[in-house]
Amino acid sequence: MVELKINDKIIQVPAGTTILEAARSAGFSIPSMCYLKGQSNHPSCMICVVKDRKNGSIFPSCAMPVNEGMDIISEDDEIRDMRKQSLELLLSDHVGDCEAPCQLSCPAHMDIPLMNRLIGANKFEEAIRIVKNDIALPFILGYICPAPCENACRRKQINAPVSICLLKRSTAQFSNFEEPKTKPNGKKIAIIGSGVAGLSLAYFLQLYGFSCDIFEKNKEIGGSLRYDISEEILPKRILDIEIEGIKKLGASFYCSSDFNPSFYEEKIKNRYSALIISTGVSTQDFSWLVEVDKNGIVINEKNFLTSVSNIYACGSVVKKQKMAIRTAAHAKQLANIIANIQTEKKQFNSRFAKLTKAELPEYLKESVSNNRNNSIDHLTGFSIQEAIEEAKRCLHCDCRKKDACKLRDYSTLYSAQQNSYNIGSRKEMTKQFDHSFVVYEAEKCIRCGLCVDIASSEKDALGLTFIGRGFNVRVQVPFNAKLEDALKTTALKCIESCPTGALAKII
Amino acid sequence: MKAEDIINKTDEIIASASPIQGQVIPLLQAIQKEYNYLPELALQHVHNKTGISYSTILGIATFYSQFRLHPAGKHIIKVCVGTACHVKGAGLVFDAFKRHLKIDAHSDTDQDGLFTIEKVACLGCCTIAPVVQIDEITFGKVSTDKIKDTLEEFINLQLQETTNIKTTSTTLKKEAGEIRIGLGSCCVASGSAEVKKELEASLLRNRVQVDVKQVGCVGVCNQVPMLEIHKPGKKPAFYAKIRPDEVNKIIKKHFRSSNITQHLKNSFYDTFDRILERDIPISTSFYDPNDKDTPLAAFLDGQISIATENRGEMDPLDLNTYKQFGGFKSLLHCLRKMNPDQIIEEILKSGLRGRGGAGFETGRKWKFVSQAQADKKYVICNGDEGDPGAFMDRMLLESYPFRIIEGITIAAFAAGSNEGIFYIRAEYPLAVKRIREAVNKCYDAGLLGNNILNSNFSFHISIFEGAGAFVCGEETALIASIEGKRGLPRLRPPYPAQSGLYEKPTLINNVETLALVPWIISKGADAFKNIGTQNSKGTKVFALAGKINRGGLIEVPMGISIKKIVFDIGGGIQNNKKFKAIQIGGPSGGCIPASLIDTEIDYQSLAQAGAMMGSGGLIVLDETDCMVDIARYFLSFTQDQSCGRCTFCRVGTTRMLEIMDNICSGKAEMNDLQKLEDLALIVKKGSICGLGKTAPNPVLSTLKYFREEYEAHINGKCPTGKCTAMIEYFITNDCIGCTKCVQQCPVDAISFMPQEVHIIDSEKCIQCDACRQICPVDAVITK
Repeated sequence: MVELKINDKIIQVPAGTTILEAARSAGFSIPSMCYLKGQSNHPSCMICVVKDRKNGSIFPSCAMPVNEGMDIISEDDEIRDMRKQSLELLLSDHVGDCEAPCQLSCPAHMDIPLMNRLIGANKFEEAIRIVKNDIALPFILGYICPAPCENACRRKQINAPVSICLLKRSTAQFSNFEEPKTKPNGKKIAIIGSGVAGLSLAYFLQLYGFSCDIFEKNKEIGGSLRYDISEEILPKRILDIEIEGIKKLGASFYCSSDFNPSFYEEKIKNRYSALIISTGVSTQDFSWLVEVDKNGIVINEKNFLTSVSNIYACGSVVKKQKMAIRTAAHAKQLANIIANIQTEKKQFNSRFAKLTKAELPEYLKESVSNNRNNSIDHLTGFSIQEAIEEAKRCLHCDCRKKDACKLRDYSTLYSAQQNSYNIGSRKEMTKQFDHSFVVYEAEKCIRCGLCVDIASSEKDALGLTFIGRGFNVRVQVPFNAKLEDALKTTALKCIESCPTGALAKII
Repeated sequence: MKAEDIINKTDEIIASASPIQGQVIPLLQAIQKEYNYLPELALQHVHNKTGISYSTILGIATFYSQFRLHPAGKHIIKVCVGTACHVKGAGLVFDAFKRHLKIDAHSDTDQDGLFTIEKVACLGCCTIAPVVQIDEITFGKVSTDKIKDTLEEFINLQLQETTNIKTTSTTLKKEAGEIRIGLGSCCVASGSAEVKKELEASLLRNRVQVDVKQVGCVGVCNQVPMLEIHKPGKKPAFYAKIRPDEVNKIIKKHFRSSNITQHLKNSFYDTFDRILERDIPISTSFYDPNDKDTPLAAFLDGQISIATENRGEMDPLDLNTYKQFGGFKSLLHCLRKMNPDQIIEEILKSGLRGRGGAGFETGRKWKFVSQAQADKKYVICNGDEGDPGAFMDRMLLESYPFRIIEGITIAAFAAGSNEGIFYIRAEYPLAVKRIREAVNKCYDAGLLGNNILNSNFSFHISIFEGAGAFVCGEETALIASIEGKRGLPRLRPPYPAQSGLYEKPTLINNVETLALVPWIISKGADAFKNIGTQNSKGTKVFALAGKINRGGLIEVPMGISIKKIVFDIGGGIQNNKKFKAIQIGGPSGGCIPASLIDTEIDYQSLAQAGAMMGSGGLIVLDETDCMVDIARYFLSFTQDQSCGRCTFCRVGTTRMLEIMDNICSGKAEMNDLQKLEDLALIVKKGSICGLGKTAPNPVLSTLKYFREEYEAHINGKCPTGKCTAMIEYFITNDCIGCTKCVQQCPVDAISFMPQEVHIIDSEKCIQCDACRQICPVDAVITK
């Protein structure tokens, strides 16, 4: 046994143990990407660096064996900076989108490429689940959303963008979506206004177990959706369908309810665990209740709280929103806050500008070449077949491993910036699809060589090989053979071990 | 080529070329030797036959620069881009060759498949830079206006029938004395081979029978080709910078012809010579060795020869001469009179530190290996000298093979090893050849093999040719490459002394380190220790090149000042230019400015000045050299030679280089300097091996001493006009209208206007510098 100190904790481990393993066994977490026990490719990524307290030297912990009397610091400011630098250097040589540009430009951050894939596979029931994760009213928004996502769509560089908004509508059109029954938590919420904000809030809060009472000043539910938007744009029938869905979840609507001081005193005050004001653009004055300014109700932007505790405000009543989808997004955020659902820390996103000419055919490898069907009537929308065809036009810009990528996770953790070392020109994306279930995107590779080592040590068919050296080194199938012939027995292990989205499962 | 033939041939190669299991590089070298590239079919057959994985075969074939996966042209043009060649315009020469042969940017072979052009790290002929090697023939001082001539000369040499001069029957009376001619790589490139050929012809013509001795490098590269005539009882005569057509005169002067009329003529010439004294041969420099004022004497003054002992006096492959000068006595002494511990003690006492760069104490290294318990231990002589601008190891290997063999054998005895490997880079064919022959001679003489000199000690040596990867000079990468892997360094510990080649304790010493060992044993540790400074003992061999009057291989005591090297030994700066800096230690080292000229060179002082000893390349820079360009040059070298394993080196050096490129082309901003410096420190701190850890040194040291030059570039001006992206060419009114520049311009940027002042069209100009070089009146200038 070897005795050493890690972060002042004295530990004993068998000789030959690496510092990485010793630290982990002592409960200290050290990030690593290229390291996999039993493989011999490491060290490469250098994110697992630690410091020797005695001489200040810095080295990768995955490859340094423990030594008697060592005194190791697993993380301090200097180490954090080195890790961040190594991530930023890797990111400067990593091309690809984590999340697709459409998803990033969607205020509700809806997973559009996944929806497209599911529609393309005629799986509308699954598709609407994805949509409703973020958007409570897809049927309605499928008529009125200005679709900023389509403006960001990379398909625009080839021909017209994917018709995302109509596809979203089609998921509501062609599915019988039943919301799961939620156990009530006994808490009641009052919502003032039944427009996009009020309805969206009611939807999510009901799902989270709250019981919502929605107060509407007009005779019928829907706010501006019903009274300001024409039948040619949004048929009332559609509005009613989605209101019906929210009623089914257990929300109660009270129309012709004028929200004024006496109403508040009698009907609301002390009766609810929270009050949400979401009346939309309103001429009404709320200064009798909460602080207001020239835009509307003043809120804390982090938690939507007004100047009074337990009173929230959301949507255009705070500041006029040009897009319904933005209000819908705010509604979901607020519902999460009230339900105390931890919204994830803003995740790192690898992004890049336009596709180059050479990249277009690479992206078309998993798409179709036809242009958007421009003969679709707004009120009719897609037929099932048309929706499927349109969904197949998606270029799937998002990374298949965006939720299982160590490079992304650590970049988030160490606040790495993608553009710190954007000095030269970027590499051009390539996509290799000659395997039944593996796709290889070489420009996402961080050259750690895990796949090369796994395929070689487990004697897989052709295996993979490093070609070249230095900055130009890349992982390739020998003699430009097919990936199918290279990875047979180890394909899944290689995908799973790949710390980035370079090797991924196709579906 | 028929598939069947390739398979059969590959079978033969596998059967003969792979004696040791796992050694992939020699196998691929043998295949490439056969086809001048690696045919896919042959590689597949190697896999099928040997079971070596594709990732190993292709990983290696694409890692080392030596290997080609596509057929090459009939002849290979290697343009040396080592430091000395770089500062003398090798980049422009490379471009000029490509233009002349009409090779486009994405290709390396001309349309007829006659020539393939490539850049090589360093051919080690720095004193005659820029150097170009076409097949086996080396051309020195090739400038952009001499491309056509060089290729023509090469073709002519190809056409020339090899005239075999047969020695006549030995009825002639043999003359006493001998003629010595240096035949190091530099000498040959400077024309020594032609001189030797002419010498043999002349001896035959004049019916003179005398010993002609090919000696190793004399080190006086600035004076070659050199011929020495030694006759008993007479002062030796030195002839420097001779041309073949002068040889006959020299022979006639010194030797009597057996032919009577010839004899009379000779007497006449003798008298004539005495009258004219040194003026004959007219264009040649003749030196009296006792004259203290000659350039030769000044060059040698202040040098101490230990590694280069008896320089110019020995035929490198003449074992008897080496023995006459005391060779192998140290080994004999070690085997008979000393035990391994005593030897290690002596080396420790001498204070010898590794001459490969890092300067680790040699005795301690020996001790570690000696103390390691294992059934087998290896000793490796590291001759993978890859620094651009360094050629010490090549010279030592070519000129003193027996001394190095003696050194490694003593090291092996001390460390308890029975197996040694010479690892020599493939770009040094002559060194490989000489070591191979010398090893064979030692086996024949009982100096290698079982029971050496009737002792109980057995030692076997094999030779491994590196395949072109600078990083393999790093010991763990070197080991990986012998083991048949990509040359990736690994993290130490464990050190090779504990677990090295095939996981056995391995002692790795640099060529020069081993060359010093026999002297230390024979003269004693104290004698060695008395030379040098407090922390750096003995001598250091430097390859002195660049903008200096007398470049060459020098061996000087540690502690000598930069001033003494540059101005006394080197004779000052060429063309009366101003001394600006020395670059020492190659891509791992740094630049020391003229203001620190009194720095006494040892391990510590160089490190303090921001440079390092490195392996001993010493390039002198003058006022016309751009320090930013020099730093960029070294960085581009290490970036290109990075193995690609760790992020900091692979990506970090690339991003640094991009910043440097921006600076050199006027695209950088002032805050890029801070970014460059920060990144440099990160790469230095975070890289796994010595290559990455030292790669930022040239940038950091120039930022330290020449920051104003960086700032000038950012402000849009390269002060020396070296950065081609920032300069324009102009013709001044000094132009005499000779039209030479018009004929040289490869892109027709100068119109033909005889007798008038010419004008360069900046739009068309590609800054190839050809016009400036050809202009007889220096009317072409850059702004």
